[in-house]
Amino acid sequence: MLSIALSELIQIFRNRSVLITSFVMPIAICAFFVYQHELFAQIGSLGYIAAIVMFTVSAFGLYTSAVTTLASRRQNLFLKRLRSTAAGDAGILTGLVLPVTVIALIQVAVIMTVLGVVTGMPDNIALLALAVVATVAMMIGLGLATAGLTNSPEHAQVTTLPVSLGVIAVASWIGITGTEELTLLKRLLPGGSATELVMNAWNGGIALADSLLLLAPTLAWVLVAVVFASRLFRWEPRR
Amino acid sequence: MNSTPVIDVDRLNLKYGDFHAVKDLSFQVRRGEFYALLGTNGAGKTSTLETIEGHRAPTSGTVRVLGKSPQDRAAVRPKMGIMLQESGFSPDLTVKESVRLIGKLTQRTDRVERVLSVVDLTRKANTKVSQLSGGEKRRLDFATAVYGTPELVFLDEPTTGLDIQSRDAVWDAVDKLREDGSTIVLTTHYLEEAQQRADRIGLMHRGTFHQEGTVAELTQTLPAMIKFVLPPSAPALPLQGRRETDEKFLIETHHLQKDLFTLLRWAQDHAVELRELEAGPTRLDDVFRAIDNS
Repeated sequence: MLSIALSELIQIFRNRSVLITSFVMPIAICAFFVYQHELFAQIGSLGYIAAIVMFTVSAFGLYTSAVTTLASRRQNLFLKRLRSTAAGDAGILTGLVLPVTVIALIQVAVIMTVLGVVTGMPDNIALLALAVVATVAMMIGLGLATAGLTNSPEHAQVTTLPVSLGVIAVASWIGITGTEELTLLKRLLPGGSATELVMNAWNGGIALADSLLLLAPTLAWVLVAVVFASRLFRWEPRR
Repeated sequence: MNSTPVIDVDRLNLKYGDFHAVKDLSFQVRRGEFYALLGTNGAGKTSTLETIEGHRAPTSGTVRVLGKSPQDRAAVRPKMGIMLQESGFSPDLTVKESVRLIGKLTQRTDRVERVLSVVDLTRKANTKVSQLSGGEKRRLDFATAVYGTPELVFLDEPTTGLDIQSRDAVWDAVDKLREDGSTIVLTTHYLEEAQQRADRIGLMHRGTFHQEGTVAELTQTLPAMIKFVLPPSAPALPLQGRRETDEKFLIETHHLQKDLFTLLRWAQDHAVELRELEAGPTRLDDVFRAIDNS
């Protein structure tokens, strides 16, 4: 698994377009949010900025990269090649998505640290970390499921749009309007409860037990994504 | 060569929807054997091979490789080298990185430099896969298959796109593997390669074996041929034959040596020159043509 992860890391840093679209662009967008934090805090809250940062990186740096990577490796039969070895399926998939996951986590940590230094530290760092990890797990699951529907890296530019734009739209909607109205709908949408959890962790003022309940819908989405992935994921191109 | 089956296929069936790709196929490959799985286009040999390799699950029937299910990758793959029909390497990795990665994942031990020298890719060790020619990619594929000298090696079209020197290098490496006791399973469209090297051949047609056996066993079902050009003034031939063209004669025989001797003696006695004389046993090509015609 680690040797696959290392080879993936090498490939990421050798592929300039992947590096720019998946890692430089999300950082640039997040930097804009941090730079304009007073404006966005006025529209929503500092927790909203943290949620948007998390979903921007998770959607473009992690989810889109994972789908593109898996589609590309399947298209050029690299997945079949890996399955010609003694490596197990779980080890292969973990190795392939581990580098983008670690890079995404580092990106989120760095940007949130900068946000914290500029605006003041979050109320509950542990809860924030939990929200980020749950969101990352959800996006990986959705990535595996989407990869099953994606024939090529070019196709990924289309197939990833609904989820990546969807979670950012949900985060913006909840970040700006809160969850006092349409509470159930907002919490059940993918990324909805995770956004609220991040906002609670950053802004504070909500009981920990109430916040922890918000983990359930996010973890349910992980489960749904894994079920879809197990049904949709393909190791070889369609013939 | 002992008789322990390295591969044991029993009543294998493979279906894709309504299409029955492989039908009740049974065969064994013995330890140390060079077995060629050949077939006409769409005969089901790739489906069969991929099932034996563990890439595909049978619809029904059983496949055992080295005594285990081929889908038990952790158990069988360390002893099994697979050369795929298409390369499947990551274009952004170098040749050396690719061999190191795949070699490590097979859990066999070897030196990357040794394997690259076998296929004459040492000079390309630091070249990205995307910059290799088609033939070089085939050699890279072969290198990963023979990494660590596995007990069982699958070669799917190993010499397609290779120049003559590279082909010779590949076959020299295969000969070395056999000396070390490896079992080889080959599929190829170059029938002469199978004819020269295979201990046994499984000849597939429409999802099952049309014939299986040694080259001699497969070819003995068809007559050998004697061809020559005969002057119009020549006396009657001592053997049954037929004119392929106005001048060219063809004699089909199951007794090549005896009939050739009779023909040459007749030509000598009658001072007839048999121009463009060709005589030889049946080739696999002829067996294939006979299948197609049937």
